[in-house]
Amino acid sequence: MRKSYLNPQRKAFVILHFLIFSLLFLSFQNASAADGKSLFKQNCASCHKPCDDKLIGPGLKGVMSRIPSLDWAHNWVKNSTKMVNSGDAYAKKVFGENGGSVMTAQPQLSNEDIDAILKYADAGDCATKPVPTAGGGNPSEPNGDNTTSGGLDPFWVLLAVVGVLIILTMVLRSTKRSLKNVLNEKQGLAPEPDRTIWESFKYWCENNKRMVAVIILFFVCVGVKTCWYTVKDIGVYQGYHPEQPIKFSHKIHAGDNGIQCVYCHSGAEKSKTAGVPSVNVCMNCHKGIQETANPGSKEEIAKIYAAAGYDPKTGTYSGIEKPILWNKVHVLPDFVYFPHSQHVMVGKVECETCHGDVKKMTTVEQFSPLTMGWCINCHRTTEVKMEGNKYYDDLHAKLKAKYKGQPITVANMGGLDCAKCHY
Amino acid sequence: MGNSKKYWKGLDELNDNPAFLKQRDNEFNEYVPVDQFLANTTAMEESSTSRRDFLKFLGFSVTAATLAACETPVMKVVPYVTKPAEVTPGMPNWYASSYFDGHDYCSIIVKTREGRPIKIEGNALSKVSNGGVSARVQASVLSLYDADRFHGPQTGKGVEMDWAKADGLVKAGLEKAASDRKEVVILSSTIISPSTKAAIAEFAGKHGAKHVTFDAISYSGMLEANKNSFGQAVIPSYHFDKARVIVSFGADFLTNWLNPIQFSKQYGKTRKIGKEKKEMSKHIQFESILSLTGSNADERHPIKPSQTGAYVVALYNKVSGSSLPVSGGVDEHAIADTAKWLMDHKGKSLVVCGSNDVNIQLVVNAINQALGNYESTIDINTPNYTKQGNDQDFVNLIESMNAGKVGAVLVYNCNPAYTAPAKLKFAEAFAKVGTKISLASRSDETSLLCDVVCPDHNYLESWNDYNPSKGHYSLQQPTISPLYAAPRFHGSRQAQESLLSWSGNKSDYHTFMTGNWKTMFNNTSDSATFWNQSLHDGAIYIESVSEAKEDKKDSKHDSKKDKAIETEAPKTDLRSAAAKIAEMKGKDTEVVFYESTAMGSGVLANNPWLQELPDPITKITWDNYITMNPADMAGKYNILERFDQLEDAPDTAIVTIEGLALAALPVFPQPGQALGTIGIALGYGRTNSGKAANEIGVNVYKTVQWANGTMQYHADASLVKGTETYPIACTQTHHTMMGRDVVKETSLMAWMDDAAAGNEKETINHKGQNVVATEVNLWNDFDRLGHKWGLAIDLNSCIGCAACVVACNVENNVPVVGKLEVRRSREMHWIRIDRYYSSDMSKAKGKEKGIGKIETYREMEHAASANPRVVFQPLMCQHCNHAPCETVCPVLATSHSGEGLNMMTYNRCVGTRYCANNCPFKVRRFNWFNYTGNKNFAGVNPGMDDIGRMVLNPDVVVRSRGVMEKCSMCVQRIQAGKLVAKKEGRKLVDGEIQTACSQSCPTNAIIFGDLNDAESEVSKWHADARNYKMLEETGIKPSVAYLTKVRNAEMEEEGKEEKHKEGEKHEGAEKKEEKSHS
Repeated sequence: MRKSYLNPQRKAFVILHFLIFSLLFLSFQNASAADGKSLFKQNCASCHKPCDDKLIGPGLKGVMSRIPSLDWAHNWVKNSTKMVNSGDAYAKKVFGENGGSVMTAQPQLSNEDIDAILKYADAGDCATKPVPTAGGGNPSEPNGDNTTSGGLDPFWVLLAVVGVLIILTMVLRSTKRSLKNVLNEKQGLAPEPDRTIWESFKYWCENNKRMVAVIILFFVCVGVKTCWYTVKDIGVYQGYHPEQPIKFSHKIHAGDNGIQCVYCHSGAEKSKTAGVPSVNVCMNCHKGIQETANPGSKEEIAKIYAAAGYDPKTGTYSGIEKPILWNKVHVLPDFVYFPHSQHVMVGKVECETCHGDVKKMTTVEQFSPLTMGWCINCHRTTEVKMEGNKYYDDLHAKLKAKYKGQPITVANMGGLDCAKCHY
Repeated sequence: MGNSKKYWKGLDELNDNPAFLKQRDNEFNEYVPVDQFLANTTAMEESSTSRRDFLKFLGFSVTAATLAACETPVMKVVPYVTKPAEVTPGMPNWYASSYFDGHDYCSIIVKTREGRPIKIEGNALSKVSNGGVSARVQASVLSLYDADRFHGPQTGKGVEMDWAKADGLVKAGLEKAASDRKEVVILSSTIISPSTKAAIAEFAGKHGAKHVTFDAISYSGMLEANKNSFGQAVIPSYHFDKARVIVSFGADFLTNWLNPIQFSKQYGKTRKIGKEKKEMSKHIQFESILSLTGSNADERHPIKPSQTGAYVVALYNKVSGSSLPVSGGVDEHAIADTAKWLMDHKGKSLVVCGSNDVNIQLVVNAINQALGNYESTIDINTPNYTKQGNDQDFVNLIESMNAGKVGAVLVYNCNPAYTAPAKLKFAEAFAKVGTKISLASRSDETSLLCDVVCPDHNYLESWNDYNPSKGHYSLQQPTISPLYAAPRFHGSRQAQESLLSWSGNKSDYHTFMTGNWKTMFNNTSDSATFWNQSLHDGAIYIESVSEAKEDKKDSKHDSKKDKAIETEAPKTDLRSAAAKIAEMKGKDTEVVFYESTAMGSGVLANNPWLQELPDPITKITWDNYITMNPADMAGKYNILERFDQLEDAPDTAIVTIEGLALAALPVFPQPGQALGTIGIALGYGRTNSGKAANEIGVNVYKTVQWANGTMQYHADASLVKGTETYPIACTQTHHTMMGRDVVKETSLMAWMDDAAAGNEKETINHKGQNVVATEVNLWNDFDRLGHKWGLAIDLNSCIGCAACVVACNVENNVPVVGKLEVRRSREMHWIRIDRYYSSDMSKAKGKEKGIGKIETYREMEHAASANPRVVFQPLMCQHCNHAPCETVCPVLATSHSGEGLNMMTYNRCVGTRYCANNCPFKVRRFNWFNYTGNKNFAGVNPGMDDIGRMVLNPDVVVRSRGVMEKCSMCVQRIQAGKLVAKKEGRKLVDGEIQTACSQSCPTNAIIFGDLNDAESEVSKWHADARNYKMLEETGIKPSVAYLTKVRNAEMEEEGKEEKHKEGEKHEGAEKKEEKSHS
C-alpha cells in the first residue's frame, strides 16, 4: 500500500495553511478593492459615479476599456489640463465631451492609488451609494417608527381583567346566595328570592340612593369634562403628520446629517413664513446625491429631478418644471399673523420650542397644539431678551422701573394685545 | 362753543329735512323689522318652520358642523421650483416705475408680493411728482387685474386670432394703403416717451405714416396761445410753491388741470403755517362749478363760463392799467380786490386759467407778464410735455378720413369714438378707413370699431421711458410677467414692440429702449451704471442732455440752446383778442363739462375703487349728474331740491346742447354753483369699457364744443325737467356729526394774533370750578410705556383730494359694495373725508344790516348756499383712549392695545353692532354680506374673480359677513416697521412707519408717528396751539389731533369779541339743557 503522502496531522496542517493563505489572499484582494473604493469616495465621488450615469464628469464603469493606457490615466488624473494642452487626441475628446469643464488635478494620488481607483470604478459599483449618509439608517427599519414592542396592549389587558372580575362577581354572587340560602334554611327563614341580575341591581339601587346619586354625579362630571375637551380639540391637529408626495425624512437631513433648519427654511430669519424650500435648494445637494443607502431613496430623489426637470444621466435641465405639492403640516388660520423672523431673530426662540425634536421625525408632525391658549401661555411665561437690542433701551428702563425685580415677560409689554396677531 | 357758525354737510341738514332728522339718529338707517315679525302671531303661525323643524335643523347643523370639524383638512403648500433670488415669500419688493395714461403723469414705486403688484406709492426721488400720488394713480393697480382686458389679438367685435394672423392682417392693411397711395396715420394721445416716439418715427419712416395727437381733455388753446405769445407751442412749468398769491380762473389745478399731483404738493407747502412759517398763500378762485380747487380757495367768486374772458380782461386792465374792451357783468369789486393782491405781490403771484380758448389764454399770459411772474412762478424754459394734443390736427384727420384719403389708422392709447364731440362724426369718418388697428390693452369704444386689435400690455407689465418735462426723465419697468400670455392665451404684446415688428425691427422694446438711451445720453461715461441707477431711482433730472443730443444732431440748433424764451413784452395784439372775448355771450343756462376727482378723463372708468369713491364735493358715487345751484332749482325749473335718498330719488332733467339732447340726468343741488350754470362730469357713460363702467352715467364728451380751433368745455344749454326721478348713491348725509363742533377754523390775521384762535377749549363746572373739560377724567389712565401711536391732520393743508381714501382701500382690502349698498349707507370705507359748508355771512354783518337774530341766521344760510365756504375733514377711527365702542362690546372683540390702538378682532366679533351704535364718529363699518363670495357683488367687487383677487394685500385679513371692521391705523405696517428696527437692533426712526393715508397724502396733511417720542413730528403737531381733538370735551381722549383750518381771508374780524361772548352764553344755555337731559 502506498503510504499516504501526508499523515493526517500534516494534512490537517496543510489544509489549515491553505485556508489561512487563501483567506489572507482574499483579504488582500478585498483590501485593494476597498482601498480603491475609499479613495474613490474621498477624491472622485463628488464628480464621478462608479456607474454608467454621468454626474459632473462621466460615469467610470468600464473605464479601463475606454482609456488608451494606464499611463494616460495617471497623467490625466494628475493634471488633465496639461494633457489637453499637449494635444493628446483622447484627452481633447474627453474634454470636449464633458462640455469643456476642467477636471480638478489630483497630484497627491500615487500611480498605485489611481490604479486601485480605476480597478474599483471599472468593475462598477452601482449598488453602493456614492456618498452614503452618515449612519444612514437601518434598512430594515426605514421609517424608524415601527418601534412598537411586542408587549401587550393595555386595552386588552384591561378588558381581560374586567371579564375576570365579572365572572368572579357572578361566581361570588351565586356562592353568596347559596350560602345565604343554607343559612336561611338552617334558621328556618324563607329562601332568598330568586332575583335576576337586573332585579337585584334595582333592589340595590333602591336601598342605596345616596350611593347612586354620587355615582350619577361622578358620571355626569366625567361626561361633561370629556365633552368639553372633545369640543375644545376640534380644529386642533396636534400630532398631525401627513404622508408627503416625497418621502422626505427630517431625521436623515436634520438629524443624521445635521443640516441646519434655516439652510432650507431660510425664510424663518427674514420673513413671516419659514417657507417650504424651493426645489433648487434640494438640488444644491441632490445634484450630487442621487441615491443613498436607504431603500427607495433613488425613486424619491428622482421625484426632485422630475420637479426640477433635471436629467441625472446627462446633467442637464429640460426647463420643464413641475412644482411639488406638499401637504401642509402646520396650518394657522388666515386671521392669525405669526411672524417667524420676530420669534427667531428677535425673540431668539429655538425652532424646537414650537416644532419639537424634528431631528427625530421621519415624517414631520405637528408638535404643538397651535391653539391661541398655547401662544398666550408662551407669551405669559417667556421673558423678553432685551439686552443688547437698542430698540428696547428706553422701554426696558421703564419696564424695569414698573415691574421691580419681576421678570418682564412678553405679556408685560403688550404681548397679549389682540392686534399683535390679528389684523 | 367756540364757534357760532353753523356747519352743515348737505342741504338736508341745513334745512332740517324731517327725513334727515329721523335718519341722523340711526347709525343703521334701514330698519330691520325683527320685533314686528315676532309680534305678528299670524305670520308666525303661518311660517313654515315649526318648532320641531327648528330643533331638527339645529340638531342636524350641530352634527354636521361637528363632523366637518373632525376631519383634518388637507392643505397644499406649493413652493417655487426655482425661487427667484430677489423673492422671499412673505416679504414685499419695491420697484420704481412711472404712470402715464395720456392724462396723468406720476413717478411711482410699486409694492409687489410674490411677484404681484399690490400697492402704488409716490416716488420721492422724482422732481416732477415729488412723491405725491393721486387717487386715480393709487387705484390704477386694480386695472392690471381687470378681467375685461384683451386676452390676445382679436377683431374689434371679439373674434380671437393668433399673433401671426393679426400681424398678417396689419401688414396687408399697410401694404394696401401703400399701394392705394393712401395715408397711414398713428392716432394717439400725448406721448411723452422718447423711445416710443423713436419707435413711432421708425414706423413712420417705413410706412410714411403721420402721427396725430388727440387728447381727451385738450390743452390746445394754451399751446396755441403760448405759440402766439412766445413763439413756441409749449406749456410752461408752474411753481405754485413760489407764489404768494394764486388766482385761478376755472383751473382745477389740485385734481385735474395739467399736472395736479405736482401742483398739490406745491400748493400744500404754501398752505402750511407754524411757528417758523407765518406766511400763507392767498388763493382766489373764479369758477362756475364748485371744484375741489375752488373749495380750497380763500376767496371764491362764482362766475358763468362765458364770463371768464371778461373777468380775465378786466383783471388785465386793472393790473396793467390798460383799457381793453370788457363786456359787462363783471364784479368790479372782486376784480379790484384781486388786482390789489396781485399788484402787492408782483413776481410772487400766479394767474392760471382752465379755459381752452386761445384768446383768453393770451390775456392770461399778458397778466402774468405784467406781473413779472415768468421769472419766478412760471418757468417757460422748462416746458411741460404732458399735454401735446392738437385739436386742429384731429379735425383735419377726420376730414381726410371722410375724403377717403386714409388707408390705415393705428389707434394707440386714444379713444376718440368716446371722447370726440358728436358733431365731428368720428365714427362715420373712421368707418371709411381701409384698415383700422387698435393697440388698446382693454376694450374701449374705439377698439370696437377696429378691424384688428393688437393688445398692449398694462403699464405694470411694460417697459417705457418718460420725459414729462424738459430734463426730467423717468423709467417704467415691468413688475409682473404679462398676465395674459402663452400658452393659455395668445397674450398681449407691448404696443411699441408691435410697431417695431411692423417696421421690420425684430428687437424687443427693452433692447430698443436701452439702445435709444445710449444715443440720448451718450455723454455719460459709464452707461451701464447710469442705466442701473436710473432704473433704481425711477426718475432722474438731467439739465443738459437733451440739448447735448440736439447739438449732435444738428449744429444749427446751437443758437437755440442758450436762448431762453423771450417773455418780456407781449408779442400779440391783445386788443383783437379782447375784442373777440367781448363777443362771447352766454345764454340763460350754461353747462360746464368738468373732470371729476375720481374719474378724470374716464380712462380708468372700469375701476370699481374709483367708481365708488365719493366725489369730494357732492359725495356721490357710481354716477354723473347735473349740479345746479339750489336757488336755480326751485326758482327756475321747479325741481325739488330735497329728497330722501333711501326712499326717494332726485328729479331728473333733460339737457339739450346745440340741438343734441342728453339722456335724463339726476339734478343735484350744489351750493356754490354759479347761478345760471349747470355742471356735468366727463368720463362717464362708457359703453364698451367693462362690467364696472358700462351704462354708468352719461357721456358728455359728445357735447363738447368745437369752436375757434379748439375744444370748448362749456356750452349754452336748455334744460327741461324730466318726468322721472333717478336714484343716486350719495354718502353725503350719512354718518353726520349731529351738529357738534367738530371743525374749527379761523383767519390768518386772527391766528397771527393768537395761535390758538378759533380753538377755544370747552370748559365745564367741576367741583365748583370752571376747568377745561379735558382735564377731568372719569376713567383711570393707562400707562403706555412703549409706543403710543397717533395721527395728526392739518385741516389747512388738506385739500380733500381723496388719495388717502383710495390708498386705504388698497392697503386694507376694503370691499367695494356697489351703488345699491351705498344707497343703504353701507359703504365700507375706513376713512372718509367729511365736507362741511359754512357761510361767509356773520352776525356782525347782520347787525350792520339791522336785522334780527333769526333773520341773520336765515341770511347766513342763504348767502352760504350761494357761495359757501368749504372745510374738508378726513375722518378715520380716532383710536380714543377711552373708547366708547370698547365698553359696549359683549365679547371683547374690540379692545385697547398697549400702544394706544383701538383694536378690532374680527375673529372674535359676533356682529352685535353695539360698538357702531356707540361710536361718536360713526367710523365703524359692518359687513352685511360676504362681499368676496356673494355673487350679487360680482359686477363691482374686485375680489370676486381669480384675477381681481390678486390685488388683495396678503398682510390684511379679508373680513367675512357679520363682523364689524374699521381703521386699524395700519397696524400691519406698524408691526412690520417695528420688526425691521428690532432686527437691526436700533431705535425706530420717526417717519419710518407710515400709514397708507399719511403716505399717500400729496400735501402731507396727515402725519403718523409715536406720541411718546417728544421729538416726533406728530408730537409736535399734537402740541401745536392749533391742535384740537374731536369731541374731546366728552373725555374720550382721541389719538387723532386736528389742526385748525386757517383762511387767508377776513372772517368776522370786527365782531369777534362780541361773538365770543355770545358764543359762551349760548353754550352755557346748551350745557344746562344737556344736564337736564342727562
